[in-house]
Amino acid sequence: MAEPILQLKGVKSGYAGRLVLQGADFVAGKGELTAVIGPNGHGKSTLLKTISGIVRVSEGEISLKGKRLDTLRPDQVVAEGVIHVPQGDLLFPGMTIYENLMMGAYLTREAGSVAERLERVFTLLPKLKDRRNQVAGTLSGGERRMCGIGRGLMAGGEFLMLDEPSLGLAPIVIDQIYEVIFDLRHAGMSILLVEENAERIMDQADSIHLLDNGRFAWTGKGAELMARPEIVEAYLGA
Amino acid sequence: MDVVIQIIASGLTLGAMYAVATVGLSLVYGSLNMLNMAHGALLTLGGYMCYAAITHLGFHPIFGLVAAALVCALAGLAIYVFATLPLLRAENFETNIFIATIGIGAVIESLMLKSFGPYPIPQPLAVSGSVVIGNVHIPLQNIMILLTALVAMAAVALLLQKTRAGRAIRATSMSRDAAQLMGVRVGQIYAQVLALSGGLAAISGVMISSIATLTPVMGGDPMLKAFIICIVAGLGNVYGAVLAAIVLGLLEAATQYVLGVRWSFATLLLLVILVLIWRPYGLFGRQQVVRL
Ligand SMILES: Nc1ncnc2c1ncn2[C@@H]1O[C@H](COP(=O)(O)OP(=O)(O)OP(=O)(O)O)[C@@H](O)[C@H]1O
Ligand SMILES: [Mg+2]
Repeated sequence: MAEPILQLKGVKSGYAGRLVLQGADFVAGKGELTAVIGPNGHGKSTLLKTISGIVRVSEGEISLKGKRLDTLRPDQVVAEGVIHVPQGDLLFPGMTIYENLMMGAYLTREAGSVAERLERVFTLLPKLKDRRNQVAGTLSGGERRMCGIGRGLMAGGEFLMLDEPSLGLAPIVIDQIYEVIFDLRHAGMSILLVEENAERIMDQADSIHLLDNGRFAWTGKGAELMARPEIVEAYLGA
Repeated sequence: MDVVIQIIASGLTLGAMYAVATVGLSLVYGSLNMLNMAHGALLTLGGYMCYAAITHLGFHPIFGLVAAALVCALAGLAIYVFATLPLLRAENFETNIFIATIGIGAVIESLMLKSFGPYPIPQPLAVSGSVVIGNVHIPLQNIMILLTALVAMAAVALLLQKTRAGRAIRATSMSRDAAQLMGVRVGQIYAQVLALSGGLAAISGVMISSIATLTPVMGGDPMLKAFIICIVAGLGNVYGAVLAAIVLGLLEAATQYVLGVRWSFATLLLLVILVLIWRPYGLFGRQQVVRL
């Protein structure tokens, strides 16, 4: 395994009066594609929100390259290089694609690096360039997803978290989105991916982690998961 | 014809004052989901501060206005630090802050009553003279108000549309979580918005008191109208609020002329009821966002 970039130790977190993560231990490797799978409502999104600081840690530690994240505010976590592309995109609906992308680079003050990143995002997701002046509230599902990912990339972070990037999209659009994700990974980005459909990332993921009731119940490679049909069946109903 | 000019002139003046009062309220609601019931008291505070700066401290009228705006911006900041911030940490923020700001408003109004007394005081920031259009004399004061409001609105629009801070304010009002994920420190945004709203309240308070008079309760009526305008426009929609303010100002001037002053508020309320039956989210209100 590559050297770790993100590490969780016994993390507990949740919402008012409801603990969701109940002691999660987890490591993601630098430059790797790490996948988190698990049934609905078992805390996958909460895991990402906890890492990005939107949900507070009540016990345990989160660190990025050895630096504690769990004591930081969400904006400070972003400044450390963590990008969170949330489930359901959460675009700014009244802003254009261009303004959404600029919000992604909110913490970057040098105009030069912003322009450079914009160029890279437009190369990776050319559709965004064509539609740069369209208001986000009027985009199709696939365009919204691309805008969400593009906006995340504008931050220029080194650890990218994607929450169910295939959710609600047609198969052909899902393929396009995953092509982009795999490209990013081959370009050396560290990616944490939440995906319901394990088969989709089986071949590409460096490690797969199964989240069950707020704890990691199983960790391994895609091939190992395939060899354990009972796990797939029990947790994912495939 | 003269009547129409008269109605348009006073309607635009009313609308301009309402617009400045409403924008602050709308910004605060849009970004924090906070109904600031102390907004009217901030208006009053602004009016008295301008008066005090000019009369007691000998400020030039322009600086009197600026001083009033600064004091009220600080008051807005204080509301953030001492009421919004602690209440945000607990549950039921929207109800709690509603009640808390009623209390803050009452305190400010009592302070004004104690310091300046219950009797109406004229606002010294006033210009005399008038221009004549047709056979109608339009006081320069009204034109001043219109211009001041235009400048204030243009400045707010420029801030919201063209600056980094403004974009962050808009982003926060569209999705607080997403704004945080972009690295926006939302606490700072809230503080800025409350300060800005306080400053705008001061400007509007000075304008209103310059055609009426200063009294400790002068903020109540414009605040009520600002709320009505906000609701008609759709809570939190800043540009819609400006438009609605001007339309309602014109409408008020027209009803005052046609039906008499005592009908103007009733007409306003009737209109609100009709609008809300037709469009429950307000004229420009956000549709419910479809979430996956
Ligand atoms: N804002 C919230 N307030 C209260 N409870 C919440 C909130 N968000 C999520 N939960 C609860 O926390 C639990 C875990 O939710 P989470 O969104 O992390 O699940 P998930 O694994 O991402 O599910 P899905 O596959 O449906 O996206 C669920 O029971 C959910 O109802
Ligand atoms: Mg989820």
